Amino acid sequence: MEEMVASAAYGLYLALIVAGGLAAVRCHNLVRALIGLIMTLFGVAGMYFLMAAPFLALMQILIYVGAVSVLIFFAIMLTRAPGGEAGHESLRPRMGLRELLSVASGLLPAVILAGIVAGYAPPALPLKSEVPLARLGQFLTGPYVLAFELISVVLVVAMAGAVLLGFERRKGQ
Amino acid sequence: MIAQLTAWLMHPLGHMIAALAAIMAFVGVNGLVLVYMERKVAGFIQRRPGPYEVGPQGLLQPVADAGKLISKQLATPEGADRLMFWAAPILSMAPVVICFLPIPFSPLLTGMDVNLGLLLILAFSGLNSLALCLAGWGSNNKYSLLGAARAVAQAVAYEIPLLLSVLAVAFQTGSLNLSVIAQEQTRGLLSWNVFTHPLAFFIFFVASVAETNRSPFDLPEAESELTAGFHTEYSGMGFGLFFLAEYSYMVIVCAVATALFLGGWDGPVLPGIWWFLAKVFGLIFVMMWFRWTFPRVRFDQLLNICWKWLIPLGLLNLVVTALMIKLVR
Repeated sequence: MEEMVASAAYGLYLALIVAGGLAAVRCHNLVRALIGLIMTLFGVAGMYFLMAAPFLALMQILIYVGAVSVLIFFAIMLTRAPGGEAGHESLRPRMGLRELLSVASGLLPAVILAGIVAGYAPPALPLKSEVPLARLGQFLTGPYVLAFELISVVLVVAMAGAVLLGFERRKGQ
Repeated sequence: MIAQLTAWLMHPLGHMIAALAAIMAFVGVNGLVLVYMERKVAGFIQRRPGPYEVGPQGLLQPVADAGKLISKQLATPEGADRLMFWAAPILSMAPVVICFLPIPFSPLLTGMDVNLGLLLILAFSGLNSLALCLAGWGSNNKYSLLGAARAVAQAVAYEIPLLLSVLAVAFQTGSLNLSVIAQEQTRGLLSWNVFTHPLAFFIFFVASVAETNRSPFDLPEAESELTAGFHTEYSGMGFGLFFLAEYSYMVIVCAVATALFLGGWDGPVLPGIWWFLAKVFGLIFVMMWFRWTFPRVRFDQLLNICWKWLIPLGLLNLVVTALMIKLVR
């Protein structure tokens, strides 16, 4: 019973991810494409839930769905082309080759990765129980402290860069 | 029969279904109660009786309002993105049910005892700003779009002090489970977190007023400038769902504030549930009181309050809390 529900949930999330990804690439309307992206992010959050990592799943929803995609939305609203209709990207008629190349470039890494995983995958582990939040924190500040600090340095640099860009533009006006 | 029923309720699935049904009923009734309360509070603050004609003391007024809303035609504006336009009110309302699940109304009366309950509420309540964006964008109306742009800037900015103030309490308790946090505060009045974290409570309450788009932070729907902001184009239950969602989010933030800071169900004599509800509706009353006391802030003031005051104060509060915990232990 439990296995069946899990498989059904897996299928649902997979469908959500694929459908969302397709919508993100195919929709002419930028906002609809963004909705596709959000669907994909939701699907990934669901996958985290299935892997007994609810903390990651909720963080995915909180950060990516609640904040990042909302910021992308804001960017779309601010960058409407003068004269053109907002949120529409012109799609040139020369479609065939572009479609083919994009499918190829998308499938290539997927095929390679899938091949490696199929060939050398370790047997599936029994589902672990949820890792308590405190242990997660200990891991981040213990064995992985260097990676943790490096990520925060990257974020600080990005933030400083954003402030710098903002100031320069203000001077120009 | 009753034994069977309790056995079914003890099963996690049965418990969850019962909880969801109870939550939906509560959300509906709560909408009616808060509409009446809002109009009466507004009336008395402005020295007029408020709704008076329908039913004794106007008690049936919200029922009449609801009947009117339900029976109205649903119109889609010309040139609107039909899919997004109608997805928005649903997306605004749907997460409400999930947000109610981890709230501990009393030690027994908790929808679902989740270890990450606080995070669950914060994550899913963030979807509301997305819904406002969709509503503003899909309406094909400049007022709606302006309202949506304001909603985004406001929601993203005020989420940070909200998280910072919540984190301070989570640090102290060492848990994100709302039931555990509330349980920790049942050792007398002085163990309530509002006395140990007064600054965090202040920041949380101000940020949550802003997150629920209540006055004085109601810029996304500012009637005097934007007609009705993001829900200008919505008629009937499209508007009704936004309205219901707003009132439900008010209850959610006040319930979280009660569980985090005001001792949850703690109180003498009466059973816990009544104390919890009394504190929640007390906080909601304060929110309504705000609405008729403070004028609406300007947009630059709104962002300045957040970035220059609330966030630095929240960070300071967090650092001091961490330091105190380190020193005490």
